[in-house]
Amino acid sequence: MSETPEQPTVNQVARLARIHLDDQQLTSSGEKLEQILEFVSQLEQVELPKDVEPFFGAIESVNAIREDNLQTSVPREKILDNAPESDGEFYLVPPVFRNTDS
Amino acid sequence: MTLSALNADVIVDQLNAGEVTATDCVQHFLDRIQIHNAELNAFIRVSESALEQAEAIDQRRKSGESLGSLAGLPIAIKDGICVSGQPTTAGSKMLENFSPPYDATIVERLKSADAIIIGKTNMDEFAMGSSTENSFFGPTNNPWATNRVPGGSSGGSAACVAARLAPVAIGSDTGGSIRQPASFCGITGLKPTYGRVSRYGLIAFASSLDQIGPMTRTAKESALLMSVIAGFDPRDSTSSKEQVSDFLTGLETPLAGLRIGVCRDHLNEGLDVEVKTKINDAISVFKQLGANIEEIELPQTKSAIAAYYIIAPCEASSNLARYDGVRYTFRAQANDLEEMYRNTRGQGFGDEVKQRIMLGTYALSSGYYEAYYLKASKVRRMIKQDYDEAFKKVDLILGPTTPTPAFKLGQHTQDPLAMYLADIYTVSANLAGIPAISVPVEPSSTGLPIGLQLQGRAFEENTLLRAAHQFQNETLWHTASPSEPWRTQS
Repeated sequence: MSETPEQPTVNQVARLARIHLDDQQLTSSGEKLEQILEFVSQLEQVELPKDVEPFFGAIESVNAIREDNLQTSVPREKILDNAPESDGEFYLVPPVFRNTDS
Repeated sequence: MTLSALNADVIVDQLNAGEVTATDCVQHFLDRIQIHNAELNAFIRVSESALEQAEAIDQRRKSGESLGSLAGLPIAIKDGICVSGQPTTAGSKMLENFSPPYDATIVERLKSADAIIIGKTNMDEFAMGSSTENSFFGPTNNPWATNRVPGGSSGGSAACVAARLAPVAIGSDTGGSIRQPASFCGITGLKPTYGRVSRYGLIAFASSLDQIGPMTRTAKESALLMSVIAGFDPRDSTSSKEQVSDFLTGLETPLAGLRIGVCRDHLNEGLDVEVKTKINDAISVFKQLGANIEEIELPQTKSAIAAYYIIAPCEASSNLARYDGVRYTFRAQANDLEEMYRNTRGQGFGDEVKQRIMLGTYALSSGYYEAYYLKASKVRRMIKQDYDEAFKKVDLILGPTTPTPAFKLGQHTQDPLAMYLADIYTVSANLAGIPAISVPVEPSSTGLPIGLQLQGRAFEENTLLRAAHQFQNETLWHTASPSEPWRTQS
């Protein structure tokens, strides 16, 4: 796609997707990505009428609203049962920021 | 006649008549799973409480309680659909130990109809695949020839029905994942209209395309299941309030005057010669049944696979962002949060899932949206318009479900594009949101099943089921079962 900005590298895409890939996986993933992108580039050839609207899904222009009623939901402890780590009330995660002092 | 040879509607009648108990029925299928699952790997897990539930239903029947419409009928559920308290993995290491805190709406409905969930079936990881080879739990083998794939992603559901390890099953279909395996395994599979069946509790792959549906031996059994699972659900904001009729009534209405469209382009290029012959034979059957066959054009469907492999990965890359090591059981070792995300997703997802997330991330990355996602969504509009035009002329569209019969295990695993093309005839229905069904026609000369696809107008599942049922009244292909022991080569 010629007019688009410089292509992100497979490394950058993996970073954006928050997926760790080793060097071998990066190479193989990059090759497959290229192959698929080449295949889907046939869409460039499809001529569209000027005013065609995108179609994002089969249920169009329907906003699903409901009464704002209080309903019971799944108890917290049942949801936290699936947590890799929790204190019974919150999810626990590793430090968000690395300590750079040490 | 042994229970496993009977159709679900007959089993339900026998259960209601007291000719067989739910306990005996469930035991019969559990025994078959015990014998055959090691070779087929159709089930990831068998329900530990199925027998207990069957006993409870027998007790309730004995005491004269009124029971649901499927009381005592065993049913297999694709493992991407949540069953409360039973591990639900979507075929992924990421969810290996995940136990949903609630039932999917369709599971809730099946349970209130007193059906018995007998187990969870194998699938391509997060429903991404056309062969069930992308499962963390190993591939499923096709009972017609165990060196071949059952199709995918609902390969476990298709194989277990074909092998009679369960009378009926539930699958999900994002680009053909019910119809393509139904075709490869010689059974009937219905993808309902988008919005017809609630997606609440279906582990999301591509939310604008995903739809749950029945996988059965006959169209009549699909109608029986649809009558239970279809209908509006306030918990799925995309589920439709469109009237749900009884899918069983009208099945016997003759096809005289029904207009069936055939798209010649779909019967030429790249189509296996035998598949083409058998589909043409099936067209003759529909003519004999009184249908009028008309030629139609679907010019934009040639771009369907390309549009699909932009749209589905884009939606997937967003949907699967939730698997980050915080909430869903699996977490990889890491020193900080960012590393935890990356390691968890790097180790928890299989190769194909990572590939599609990468593709979706790329296509949605800054500066690429218009060239990829927006363009594909406009092509999607054109495909839908093709169908709108065609359905002004005809009531149904007929063609092959897949370009070839089941391919061999490993045949396409290194070539994603070859694998993607297995869905060439099925993805358009998902893009347009219309219903479609696959039914078995005459098998290939080597004994491999071949599927015929019928596509219909939105919310006209009745017409699809009626046409499929009438075809099955006239032919016997849907009654064929693979012979035991399973053939290992074809």
